[in-house]
Amino acid sequence: MSPILHARGLGKQVVSGERRLDILSNLDLEVFPGESVAILGSSGAGKSTLLGLLAGLDTPTRGELTLFGQSLPSLDEDGRAGLRAGRVGFVFQNFQLLPTLTALENTLLPLELLPGDDHQAKAREWLTRVGLGERMNHLPKQLSGGEQQRVAVARAFVTRPELVFADEPTGNLDRGTGGKVIDLLFELNREAGTTLVLVTHDHHLARRCDRCLGLDAGRLAALDRDEVEA
Amino acid sequence: MSHGARGGGGLLRLSLKGLRRDLRASDVRALFVALALAVAASTMIGFFLDRLDRGLTRQAGQLVGGDIKLEQGKPFDSDLRRQLEEAGLTLADQVDLVSMASRDASFQPASLKVVDGAYPLYGKVRVDLGGGIEEVAHGPSPGSIWIAPRLAQLLDVGIGESVQVGQSRFPVSGLIEREPDQSAGFGSFNPRLMMHLDDLEATGLVRPGSRVEYELLAKGPPQAVARVEDLLARLERQGVEIEDVREDRPQLGNALERAEKYLSLAGLAAVLLAGVAVAMATRRYVDRHLDTAALLRCFGASQRQLTQLFALQLLWLALSASIIGALLGLAGQAGLLALLTRFLPLELPPPGILPLLLGILTALAVLVGFAGPTLLRLKQVSALKVLRRELDPLPASAWLVVGVASLVFGGLLWLYSGDFMLSLGLLLGGLAALVVLWTLGWLLLGAVLRLAGRFGNGAGGAAQALRLGARQLARRRQASLGQLLAFAVTFAAMAIITLVRGDLLTTWQAQLPEDTPNYFAINIQPDERDGFTDILNAGDASRSALYPMVRGRIVAINDQSPEDVVPPESRGDNALRRELNLTWKEEVPTGNRVVKGSWFASDAAASPADGTVPISMEDGLAERFGVDLGDTLTFSIGGADITGEITSLRNLDWDSFRPNFYIVFPPEVLERFGHSYITAFHVEDGSDVPGKLVSAYPGVSLINVEAILGRVRELLSQVTRAVEFVLAFVLLAGVSVLYAALTASHTLRTHESGLLRVFGAGGRLISRIQGVEFALLGFTSGLMGALLAELAAAGVYIGWLDLAPRIHWPMWLVLPLGGALLIGLIGHALSRGVRRQTPMASLGLLGEA
Ligand SMILES: Nc1ncnc2c1ncn2[C@@H]1O[C@H](COP(=O)(O)OP(=O)(O)OP(=O)(O)O)[C@@H](O)[C@H]1O
Ligand SMILES: [Mg+2]
Repeated sequence: MSPILHARGLGKQVVSGERRLDILSNLDLEVFPGESVAILGSSGAGKSTLLGLLAGLDTPTRGELTLFGQSLPSLDEDGRAGLRAGRVGFVFQNFQLLPTLTALENTLLPLELLPGDDHQAKAREWLTRVGLGERMNHLPKQLSGGEQQRVAVARAFVTRPELVFADEPTGNLDRGTGGKVIDLLFELNREAGTTLVLVTHDHHLARRCDRCLGLDAGRLAALDRDEVEA
Repeated sequence: MSHGARGGGGLLRLSLKGLRRDLRASDVRALFVALALAVAASTMIGFFLDRLDRGLTRQAGQLVGGDIKLEQGKPFDSDLRRQLEEAGLTLADQVDLVSMASRDASFQPASLKVVDGAYPLYGKVRVDLGGGIEEVAHGPSPGSIWIAPRLAQLLDVGIGESVQVGQSRFPVSGLIEREPDQSAGFGSFNPRLMMHLDDLEATGLVRPGSRVEYELLAKGPPQAVARVEDLLARLERQGVEIEDVREDRPQLGNALERAEKYLSLAGLAAVLLAGVAVAMATRRYVDRHLDTAALLRCFGASQRQLTQLFALQLLWLALSASIIGALLGLAGQAGLLALLTRFLPLELPPPGILPLLLGILTALAVLVGFAGPTLLRLKQVSALKVLRRELDPLPASAWLVVGVASLVFGGLLWLYSGDFMLSLGLLLGGLAALVVLWTLGWLLLGAVLRLAGRFGNGAGGAAQALRLGARQLARRRQASLGQLLAFAVTFAAMAIITLVRGDLLTTWQAQLPEDTPNYFAINIQPDERDGFTDILNAGDASRSALYPMVRGRIVAINDQSPEDVVPPESRGDNALRRELNLTWKEEVPTGNRVVKGSWFASDAAASPADGTVPISMEDGLAERFGVDLGDTLTFSIGGADITGEITSLRNLDWDSFRPNFYIVFPPEVLERFGHSYITAFHVEDGSDVPGKLVSAYPGVSLINVEAILGRVRELLSQVTRAVEFVLAFVLLAGVSVLYAALTASHTLRTHESGLLRVFGAGGRLISRIQGVEFALLGFTSGLMGALLAELAAAGVYIGWLDLAPRIHWPMWLVLPLGGALLIGLIGHALSRGVRRQTPMASLGLLGEA
């Protein structure tokens, strides 16, 4: 089976002022369809940067990267966007909800780029699944941090994507709610074979993944699932 | 918060530091530009109008020869001179008469102007004293004369040769090119001969019975003129003819007055536009500073300290913007003046300080009015907000913002126009229009949202972009509505200034067509009438009708003394104090329009049974006198009283260079009184018609108004350029408002398009979506702007400019389409950078805003 996501010798260097900073260097990664992968690492290790690169939201400075069998660096911005449409979901660490749209409208946004006529129903269904059935018409600022996070999760899954990137999807959730969201993620992973690439500090979440990878000094290394401490 | 920062000094430092950091933000820059623009507009137009006004009064003084001109048939006594001089006026004596000038066997009638050492009180004489034409501020010295080149030609004399005037001979020492007092243009057809007062007696021309006019000219500051007002009124009752430049501005009146009003209007429009920009930028400023405010609260700042901090910060902003704006305004008024210099007198008074103060006041008023209520939100912020976003204080109520802004703007309107009722009317009308627009905008956005749902759900193509763009616009209903209103007001202001310009120019062009009369002929005796018109008709002249003219004084209105009937402010009206020229005519005079009542029936005058005849009155005079149809006026004509009942009111154009009459009688009534005829005609340059007329009818006075006509034409073309200049300024202001507003909403749009990218939208789709959104915004606000402009234009035309309102159909097409294009272009330019960024970068940017 060929990997759905494949990175080889990936590097990201940023220039701030005079200083060059290598956030990622010579990083390798293979993710196969249906897999669930957790990426762990200390704060500032470059996890969010990596996730952005993998999803084609940013361009690497070095290395090869293929998504759905397509080489991302060879595509232009539009090509990468086209590759994502309907197939990739993304949960941002800082949610990125539009402040002027209601929870429902925020969830509808990715659907509206796709054909179909049952968008409303789908968005409602997903908001209900994340436990926000009663809050559909609230604006983000009327929701708590955890509630906003759940809207972000619903928005990532609403198109039934093949691959979901999630940056700390349970970071703001209490254990109970976090557990529900985790259940949801794996339910989808099981039902539709959705591939999951997660960045997390949550050991419960990490331990339910097929693989755990640690990001350190710009590279990934496999972690024993049992090494991930409670 | 440190101890020092709690004190006033610390606050001062903190505010300056904050402002310096803030200058990086687009909203603060927009605020700065908008305020500077408001100040620039108001000071530019204020400076200009102030100088123009003072310059014109001075020029009027130049045309008349002084600020006041007294005229009578005998010399003025020294007692009167003393009184005038004590009031602070400088005097100059002048005597006008017509006499023969001769050399050898050739005789020529000349129009003598006898001046003293003080001549001219205003301006300079252009004269050739032998060494080419120069400008001098004096008349001929005793013992010599200056003459017009035409007289020199007719008499075949040159400088240094002598001319006989009465019983004296004078050497010619100068050839007069132009006199500053243009009464020369209105003077007799005879060429000018100017001599010194000291030489008059020796000529022996002043004898009992000779027609000599004595003039006493006075010049002085307005206060001095005001001091002698009573004295002048007394003199006038004694039969002295008095011209006061402030009351009797020259013929140019209407056009210039409208132009001045137009400039004020344009200035106000620019201020309004700047206000809208300030309001838009403030929203964003406050949104951005809510977090800062909350943090400062966390650190222990009190509400009062917060208020002071932000108020200080904005005060610095307003002051520095005022300075820049005032400098811009100074430069702008210099530009305006440069356009008008050929018309204006050379010595224009320097810019005054008042417009500058007014400019700064305007900036502060705009800041308080358009930003105040929104800024108050900053003070209400609680420390908890740092933890919980939802604790943002509620946005200032839209009604409060609009209400306060309207009040302030109404105040400015009053300040600038000086007309309370008009300002109140415009304000209330504007508010009503805003309510209508708000509702309309709300409904339109709703319709857009519903319509967007209908555009199928297919992906790709124009339909998808249309659907998504419309949805984005309509979903942010509150924000979009704000923009919609702001843009509508902007478009309306730009449109009104453009419309009024067009209508003004049309009016001006129609006013003086090619064949506008350049000669007036007065004092045509009844038996000369046919012969006179024969010469005119045989020549190449185009002429207006011949009007009979009878002089009469109004002695009663509704059988009461006129002074008791007319409103107090009209008691001193010249039409009451002087004899009026009355005429009779069967049809409505050319260029007149009956606006009320109906013109005389064909048998109207046949049977004045009760001694009352129908008369037609000029509508302006009727308004000044407070009389209407059915009221009666009694005239004293040649010792007899005739009473007329007003049966129609006429509107006429006093600037038309045609004979115009306040009162027209039906035929027959006045024929038994002594009368002469007046007419006006146009001849081409070099026509022999005037010469023929003069030699055939020496008793008829021909007045050449070509010079004045030329001046009016020139004035109109220059005022037109000034109007265009100001229009360009207003349009520029409008575009900058659009820019400020779009910049303010830019962050939100960046966020949206960044996310759409993440969800897989291509750059083309995103720019299409944004294109649709901007175009829809522009189109809708253009439509609303057209409605607002039409309403406001009607109000301004009727209430202020005295023009007939009409519907401007093309605007209804141009504004929506132009709006869509303009906003589309600006929006496109603004979002270009974003479309090139990676989603990571555009989303990351959010954190910094
Ligand atoms: N555009 C940039 N310019 C400069 N530095 C950057 C840029 N992007 C990321 N960095 C730096 O790279 C490092 C990695 O950032 P990143 O957000 O990927 O960390 P992270 O592992 O997600 O941390 P956390 O767990 O706190 O979210 C940080 O030190 C960050 O400051
Ligand atoms: Mg991170």
